[in-house]
Amino acid sequence: MPMPIRFVPAIVAFVAGAACASSPAPDFTLSDTHGKPVKLSDYRGKYVVLEWTNPECPFVRKHYNSGNMQGLQKEWVARDVVWLAVDSTRQSSYEYKTPRQLGEWMSAEDAAPTAALVDGTSATGRAYGAKTTPHMFVVDPSGNVIYSGAIDDRRTSNPADAKAANNYVRAALIEALAGKPVSVAGTTPYGCSVKY
Amino acid sequence: MASLALASSIVVAASLAKTEHVQAELVSERTALIPGKPITVALRLKMADGWHTYWRNPGDSGLPTTIAWKLPEGVGVGALQWPAPRALPAGPLVNYGYEGEVLLLTGLTVPRDATIGATYKLAAHADWLVCKEVCIPEGADLDVELPVAERSDPYPQWGSAIAAARAALPTPLQGWRVNARGDGSKVAVSLTPPDNAADPGALRFFPDEEGRIEPSGKQLQERDSNGSYVLTLPAANQLAPDFKRVAGVVTASKGFIEDGERVAAVTIDAPLVGTVVAGAKPSVTSTPVIDLSPPANAVPDSQISFVVAVLLAFVGGVMLNLMPCVFPVLSLKALALAEGHADARVQRLQGIAFAAGIVATFLALAGLLLVLRGAGEQLGWGFQLQSPTVVVGLAILFFALALNLSGVFEFTALVPSAAAEWEAGNPYADAVLSGILAVIIASPCTAPFMGAALGFAFSQSAFVALAVFLALGLGMALPYALFAWFPGWRRVLPKPGAWMERLKQVLAFPLYATVAWLIWVLGAQLDNDAVIRLLVTLVIIAFGLWSWRIYRGGTGRSWAAAAAVALVAAGIVAWPLLRGGEPDARPAVASDAAGPWHAFTPTAVSDLREGGRPVFVDFTAAWCVTCQVNKRMVLNDPQIRDAFASHGVELVRADWTRRDPVITRALAALGRQGVPVYALYRPGKEPLLLPEVLRKRTVLDALATLGPAQTVTLN
Repeated sequence: MPMPIRFVPAIVAFVAGAACASSPAPDFTLSDTHGKPVKLSDYRGKYVVLEWTNPECPFVRKHYNSGNMQGLQKEWVARDVVWLAVDSTRQSSYEYKTPRQLGEWMSAEDAAPTAALVDGTSATGRAYGAKTTPHMFVVDPSGNVIYSGAIDDRRTSNPADAKAANNYVRAALIEALAGKPVSVAGTTPYGCSVKY
Repeated sequence: MASLALASSIVVAASLAKTEHVQAELVSERTALIPGKPITVALRLKMADGWHTYWRNPGDSGLPTTIAWKLPEGVGVGALQWPAPRALPAGPLVNYGYEGEVLLLTGLTVPRDATIGATYKLAAHADWLVCKEVCIPEGADLDVELPVAERSDPYPQWGSAIAAARAALPTPLQGWRVNARGDGSKVAVSLTPPDNAADPGALRFFPDEEGRIEPSGKQLQERDSNGSYVLTLPAANQLAPDFKRVAGVVTASKGFIEDGERVAAVTIDAPLVGTVVAGAKPSVTSTPVIDLSPPANAVPDSQISFVVAVLLAFVGGVMLNLMPCVFPVLSLKALALAEGHADARVQRLQGIAFAAGIVATFLALAGLLLVLRGAGEQLGWGFQLQSPTVVVGLAILFFALALNLSGVFEFTALVPSAAAEWEAGNPYADAVLSGILAVIIASPCTAPFMGAALGFAFSQSAFVALAVFLALGLGMALPYALFAWFPGWRRVLPKPGAWMERLKQVLAFPLYATVAWLIWVLGAQLDNDAVIRLLVTLVIIAFGLWSWRIYRGGTGRSWAAAAAVALVAAGIVAWPLLRGGEPDARPAVASDAAGPWHAFTPTAVSDLREGGRPVFVDFTAAWCVTCQVNKRMVLNDPQIRDAFASHGVELVRADWTRRDPVITRALAALGRQGVPVYALYRPGKEPLLLPEVLRKRTVLDALATLGPAQTVTLN
């Protein structure tokens, strides 16, 4: 009879794991900065990072001015991770960027996402419940969100903090690519509000 | 007295930092430091209108203000003491913070061995994030110099303000029992009052920590059978680990009474019993709608649940029957029922068939819209009438129907005999067709209720969109079905008789009026040439139908030939209009961008808003009857024009008479799929969406939220 008891923790862990098993990432099709449609589900089989962005936001600029975001993009795109930057600023906001403006900003920043996407109706932002810029999501190859939240643990707008911080996205990708469960799967994001 | 004079003369004014949006300074409650005694100092932040800074838990976004002290040796510093925050909506998100002015307090202790007569410089570096739509991180090095003295007085300018702020700091709730229980994705906080406690009014909980309670989630307040006030709070979607205590500030609209004093905010800290799982994603499904209208068409919460949307759509469908542009068809249908068959069963089935026609058309429209949306078409509700082809076709159809009602020709004689038999033999098919017709005419009349439901449907899955459309169709069909089903209700209809012919003729006039309106719409979409082309077409059709009637009356075949020639000629004249194709890209349309109104461009609103002035946008279309009524009765009213002018409101008219993807997207951004939509963008505040049926009072109330009117010099 001791045998089943030994299995109890494993079962509990399994059930708990299933319960908070990552939620499916809502699919979307958005135009990139060249007007080309990009569909999330076309990237099934790869890890996808979703980065909610808004060039007007000082917290976004913190990570771009410090080179932190570009560095992450290059680091992970090189390892076959798809990186999609999404701008959900509503079209009527004066922070709204047309695809071209967003593209120009990305080039000026030497950014290297797989694609930068304009979500002028904010529909995709709403579907993900994206709250802040930046707000980061990591989607696994089967289309489930395995990390959602802040980019790192330094909740400031100071560019100097970006490098020193513990980067949750990097940590999640390292664990996931090594086949391990993501230990910090959710944090509270910080930054400017998404301009719904 | 002497000491006050002395102290005041020694004190150096606190250094003041001014940024574009914030005035910051360090201020002291007392005029001097007393060795061994505590003193309260404050970081005073005065925000520009509409800007806010954040509480220790900033809510969905933002950052708390921080203070790093640089103090003389031996001065002790306590924790930052935060006044109770306010919930500040940012679109669908909610932040916790302060608007206007805030005093963030810190208690300092003066060392016992401080030398009397010395001057201490209390310095700090403060960082804050100040946001409106835009967020700006700001900071300042601030200081205040105070003498060390044996006694002190209240600082003249700030003493009483700081003392009041200190007294108002939330402190633990006295005399009440507080329990917190986790239940699934909800946390129920129950506050049990002592005997004879007064009602605290509306409560709101502000969690100390992030990742506990979803900031934008609805906090439900109930009173249970024990008399406890129970706040049901939604757990955070991004639930932080180790949720063991429910700690935070509770504000009460009527206040808690403690020692005879009214206390507006208290702190609670209760162990959490039970377990909590992460809550739903925040409902960021709709734009902020602040509806000034009476509850009839108010959307009380920015979160429309599926059920509410379907209900709204249903009621909207029923209300469509009352819309002026449905009237002709409604009348025709009522007439048909009065003429009706003796067999109640046939009538019932006809009623059902008519309802089925309506519902099927709505579903077909929804399906079509979904297909078009999927294809990336920037189309919205009412799009049928954005096409000149449809307008011309409807004008011809209604004109012919009107001539029929006027008695110019008999309808049965018009169609080939086979089709006539088919129609006569199939009253149900007939009824289905009239149902379809009813919907086609009704679509441009976006009744109150419909805007929000449609906006909801289009941001949702195909299933939800179809459900909403189904509800719209059922709502519109309901009166007819009831009418046909309950013969008793039909008794209110007059008995058939000679009046019927006259009534039929009278009913022609609403149809003529509809034709006149459609011609005007066409003029707005295309040009004068198109209008004369359509009018000539109608004249030829009138001649043809008249000829046809003479032929049917038994006169020579030449009249039949005349009728045929006339119909062919009408087809030829109308062909350029019916052939369709997109109207050219010349800027439309209803000549409305004249006078004080700016034309709508993608940047018009943001450009004007940047000027710091309020902007009112009228989303309208020539084919939208409600829009035209609102424009003539309200927006063009001298009183309203004056009110716009005296508030310095910039006026923008977005004309959606023809397809315009920019306006379609702008409407979608507001959560709407149809016109009319009236949006008032206010500096530093949420945009206000006005109800679809405007009244002068509503517009004036909305303008009143801008603050007092100013005299604007016009040059």
